[in-house]
Amino acid sequence: MADARAMLVWALTTLLAASYSRNPLHSLLLLLVVWCVYASGASRAKGERLPFGLAGFALVAVPFGAVLNGLTSHVGATLLFRMPAWVPLLGGDVTLEALVFGAINGLNLAIVFGGFAAFNRALSARDVLHLTPKAFKESGVVIAIAMSFVPQAVRNLQRIREAQAVRGHRVEGLRDWLPIVTPLLVGALERALALAEAMVARGYATVGKRDLQSRVHVLLAAGLLALLSGWLCYLLLPQARTASMVVLAAGMGLLGASLYLAGHSVEHTVYRRWAWTVGDTAVVLGCLVTLVVLVWRRSVLDYSPYPQLAWPGFDAMVGLALMAMLAPVLYLAIGGRRPAEAEDSRTHSAAGGS
Amino acid sequence: MVPHRTARLRESRGMGGRNRHATDGAAPTRVQDPAFIHVEHLSYSYPGKARPALDDVTLAIPEGEFVLVAGPSGGGKSTLLRCLNGLVPHFSGGQVRGSVAVAGHDPIADGPQALSRLVGFVFQDPEAQFVLDRVEDEIAFALENEGLPRSEMRLRVDEVLQLLGLTALRHRLLTDLSGGEKQRVAIAAALAQRQRVLVLDEPTSQLDPQSAEEVLQALIRLNQDLGLTIVMAEHRLERVLSYVDQLVYLEAGKPVVAGWPRDVLGQIPLVPPLVELGKAFGWSPLPLTIKEGRALARRASIAASPRETPERGQRDLLQVDGLSFAYNGEPVLRDVDFRLGAGELVALMGRNGSGKTTLLRCVVGLLQPQGGEVRLDGISLRGRDAAGICREIGYLPQTPDDLLFADAVSEELAVTLQNHGLLEHPPVEPDALLETLGLQDVQACYPRDLSVGQRQRVALAAITVTRPRVLMLDEPTRGLDYQAKGVLADLLRRWQAQGMGILLVTHDVELVAQVAERVVMLSEGQVIADDTPQLLSSSPLFAPQVARLFPGRGWLTTADVLATSPL
Repeated sequence: MADARAMLVWALTTLLAASYSRNPLHSLLLLLVVWCVYASGASRAKGERLPFGLAGFALVAVPFGAVLNGLTSHVGATLLFRMPAWVPLLGGDVTLEALVFGAINGLNLAIVFGGFAAFNRALSARDVLHLTPKAFKESGVVIAIAMSFVPQAVRNLQRIREAQAVRGHRVEGLRDWLPIVTPLLVGALERALALAEAMVARGYATVGKRDLQSRVHVLLAAGLLALLSGWLCYLLLPQARTASMVVLAAGMGLLGASLYLAGHSVEHTVYRRWAWTVGDTAVVLGCLVTLVVLVWRRSVLDYSPYPQLAWPGFDAMVGLALMAMLAPVLYLAIGGRRPAEAEDSRTHSAAGGS
Repeated sequence: MVPHRTARLRESRGMGGRNRHATDGAAPTRVQDPAFIHVEHLSYSYPGKARPALDDVTLAIPEGEFVLVAGPSGGGKSTLLRCLNGLVPHFSGGQVRGSVAVAGHDPIADGPQALSRLVGFVFQDPEAQFVLDRVEDEIAFALENEGLPRSEMRLRVDEVLQLLGLTALRHRLLTDLSGGEKQRVAIAAALAQRQRVLVLDEPTSQLDPQSAEEVLQALIRLNQDLGLTIVMAEHRLERVLSYVDQLVYLEAGKPVVAGWPRDVLGQIPLVPPLVELGKAFGWSPLPLTIKEGRALARRASIAASPRETPERGQRDLLQVDGLSFAYNGEPVLRDVDFRLGAGELVALMGRNGSGKTTLLRCVVGLLQPQGGEVRLDGISLRGRDAAGICREIGYLPQTPDDLLFADAVSEELAVTLQNHGLLEHPPVEPDALLETLGLQDVQACYPRDLSVGQRQRVALAAITVTRPRVLMLDEPTRGLDYQAKGVLADLLRRWQAQGMGILLVTHDVELVAQVAERVVMLSEGQVIADDTPQLLSSSPLFAPQVARLFPGRGWLTTADVLATSPL
């Protein structure tokens, strides 16, 4: 899988493409592309089993979107049936156009979900730490821990379900989850305490350099005060707009300075060098091509089933541009690996050879 | 009263640079050695607890020693270890009296963060201490937080990877490693800052024997080759005694016993079978290794009388015929046949991944086998769900905590009875069962507040309150001390005498030697042996200490030897 930064660009491009496109044919193609990238990351996440995959999510989101919009939006020319007027919110015409519009919403939601699911598969806990700015180091550590915690919690859930089943427990209603959820939560809390103890024993500290931290607090307070004052001046004193803008800019500057200093107040170095490869560049270039074409051919992406449903057009250029987002799959297909993995395989082959 | 010692005498180092305990009884050469770790009159109470966890403990540990901290659960082993790096009282709160000094530093005043560069700490469960997901990143985590330059970090990571034999695994995901490999990564991560002391709190208690051996060998290497000071709490004394320089025995409400292992072993009740025999026969010095024991046994005249083999139960209670199971197309069980009689106790053994747990899960219906049949008293269990089957076949999984969720011990039993619709007319009186299990005094307690052994007995009570005809236990001695294991063995014998068929999955050969009538060996999903426990005596992998000590005699336990050789 490509570098986490390249995959972040890819996920953001997916998000933009999904929000640009209202054309169901282009959206379907994009969903297919996203699914290919998502599936190609499965080998990395060995043994990982999501409660539902991307296909499952799409199969739920599309009909749900269609039904929800069909029942709540009573616009459109093709009447399917009529809900009684006395039913609050739902009462009125149910049209084919409203159903299609809702289905397109569901389709785009599935694309966004798939984009970030694929990104998540490409991301290691280390990547999270490295992508997080130094000023937010603690948040990065929390997310990194959560990433290893979630798969463990899924395994524990399965184990506890079995343990309760051997006591004759059957899950039939919501209350029947109590014997499963309680040990899961208590176990999670025990694990959290054990981890906190282990991290403290390894010298992990959330407190940075004290002299810098006090300056960070002063700058942060001053910045927030300046922003608030600038905003109030802008609203209440129309004659002093320029002065308000200066105060707002000063506030932003002070906040920026506080974040910069917060980053420097933390003693933290990075063990591993980022390894950017030609394949990562290809992934980013593929995303750029897609974005440029989407902006250039924006008019063909617009589609609305209202007022009367019509067959959407398909633009070959947009289709090709969306295919450029398959770069992460091609990257794997031509044997692209992270340098660390390559090194690992060399070690193994050396061991095997001896 | 054992006198406290503020400085220890120790044997001189030979050419090999390693302490060796004299085996011929001659007094070793002793030199005064300045203590590296000093614990002086240390007492500690957890917040809200009246009884102190540590009471007037005094110890002296010279640099480079391998110190074993032993004793029953609740004796204060973990608390003492946590005092060495300041986790107690900085993390736990509570009242401390006395002093601790590690290389001139005061952990109680300085706290665990300051001590982290001097003392590395490893916990029981390796998975509970990992922050990141890959071996190399996990080891570098503490170094990154210390703000070391990248070149220095690479050097240190390479160092510890080599020391712990992890170089080939450096880029692997932690989830792909075995238990022993994970614990070695945890040790490497704890030593990345070039700590001078390594403290380990029962690092092998969650591991199978093979993984435990890997970890212990790594520790012995670190101590012998690097002179690293190691302080470790451990239940499996027999594995480490021969490498240990000092043994510290802690038992609640009793004075600390510390000193040379041979001296301490003579004064404490919980000892491995080899030492138990040595004490019974009055061997001096007490043997710590099988080699030493054999030399002493040759001199003693012990009559050769083989162990009696009990007759097999007449009626087959549980029948497994041609059972096959595969995970994702990978066969785990292949055509397994096996029988368990009423009133019979059978041990199911085999290496990790041989399919033991899968077999149990298939029997109780948690997994659906692809082929074969399971019958209880001649009636097929096909088509019945796990909840129904477990009314008649009790199954205790490896992690008893997964069963416990109620607010009180007695409620745990009531929940099982309710699940099976037996609350009104329980087959066993819950109070009587709690009394049998020695839990009558804690029946109002929150189960998770109890010791490991007690929690396990609560889980046992929760599954046996339906009076199952068959009981299956998966690794029931994990984390148990000798005393708790003895209690479990007595209990199993009692239930067996009442006609219950018991299937015991375990790596604990000493327990198998004590209680099993038959041993079934599983390898790669197939039954490769089904015989009396004497089968273990000739196995290099599974032979208990007594069988190794008296090869060819057919004895497996100290009771076998003492029964045929009256003192």
